[in-house]
Amino acid sequence: MKITETIDIRFPKTLAEAVRLQADEKTRGKLLAGGTDLMVQWAAGVPTPARATSVWNLPELCAIEVFPDRIEIGAGVTHAFLGDAVQIHRHVPALIAAAATVGAKQIQARGTLGGNAANASPAGDTAPALLVTGGSVLLASVSGVREVPLSRFWIAYRKIDAHPDEIILAFRLPKKGKAKERFRKIGTRQAQAISKVMAASRILVEKGTIRSAAIALGSVAPTPVRLAEVEAFLVGKKLSPKLIDEAEALAQATVKPIDDIRSTAEYRRWASGRLVRDALENL
Amino acid sequence: MSTVQRTWKVNGRTVRVRAPAGRRLLDYLREDLGLIGSKESCGEGECGACTVIVDDEPVVSCILPVGQLADGTEILTVEGIEKKRIGRLVQQAFVEVGAVQCGFCIPGMIVSSYALLAKNPKPSTRAIREALAGNLCRCTGYAKIIAAVKLAAARIPAAKRK
Repeated sequence: MKITETIDIRFPKTLAEAVRLQADEKTRGKLLAGGTDLMVQWAAGVPTPARATSVWNLPELCAIEVFPDRIEIGAGVTHAFLGDAVQIHRHVPALIAAAATVGAKQIQARGTLGGNAANASPAGDTAPALLVTGGSVLLASVSGVREVPLSRFWIAYRKIDAHPDEIILAFRLPKKGKAKERFRKIGTRQAQAISKVMAASRILVEKGTIRSAAIALGSVAPTPVRLAEVEAFLVGKKLSPKLIDEAEALAQATVKPIDDIRSTAEYRRWASGRLVRDALENL
Repeated sequence: MSTVQRTWKVNGRTVRVRAPAGRRLLDYLREDLGLIGSKESCGEGECGACTVIVDDEPVVSCILPVGQLADGTEILTVEGIEKKRIGRLVQQAFVEVGAVQCGFCIPGMIVSSYALLAKNPKPSTRAIREALAGNLCRCTGYAKIIAAVKLAAARIPAAKRK
């Protein structure tokens, strides 16, 4: 018998049923969405849980709603579904671009936005794009819904601010409005590659002056990170070649990447600056 | 371990499933249904050799637990694709172009190609490359595979195109 067959997997039909299962330690299971990370980890010998709770296709997790100022995307929405949801593409284009770089078609059809966030890999493709929206994540439990800013959601390497009884319900993301967004991922190849470095940005320029700037990087720290120092440096300044040179240098001075199997600290530091430059040169 | 009971359509035939919830779809197809066209290569969702179509979307069956496929799920494997008109065009084109060397990746290639052409009968080269990006081949270098998909697309009757 293969290892994943030993798991007692529950299939709640509604969110109410799912949060009840998670509320009690005796019925609580490891949350399983599309399985594109967990099934691989379990098969590879990462300790297999005794129980799992499947949230795949839970109706309450699969909605996309558009409000005047924001959109809300259910945690169970797949990367493929984001690609098809053209009604939101202009509001969060970096996220849509990021979702299109996850794995390949087969993974996009199963991988979910909530699963990508919960997996909390520093290389999670959608995290930087979520971060630059300045939005929040909604967590459901029997006690109700708790809202956590995305800026405080990824708290350590592979660790999120969610209580054991909480289920990621949705992402509440302010629309970009007149700001420009960009997403770039540097990997070994375009598909099926985990990034060496990636960047998402949401920057508003009015009459040549940067009014607001959100820049986030992935794969350069234990968690996805906002470049707060670079952002603060940029806001209120006139966009110019000199400013871009300085922002690139500041980004390179600020990030603290590591050497690992996918890249080197030196390359990641250099590429971080180049990605900041790329964002600013494409405003 | 928990056991699930499900009723699916596999290649158009009703199948009553009784299996551990965490059984991989690939194992169920190969060992329980004898559909050995889908191959296991990497076993971790990277290579695409086990690709099948679930409710019109290509997925990798090596990391898909059967319990997550609800009643009414429609599954198409390479064996079922062979019986579809576009599927036969894809198969024939792979043979004619010589897009096959060792052949191990080819069932997955055929499934991904079919999934693309069923949705988009006139794909761009970029669309073909994206559709096949999750299918790895260690022999061919891909050029002939892409040529085969183009040939199959060119033979889809005009009425089938959007």
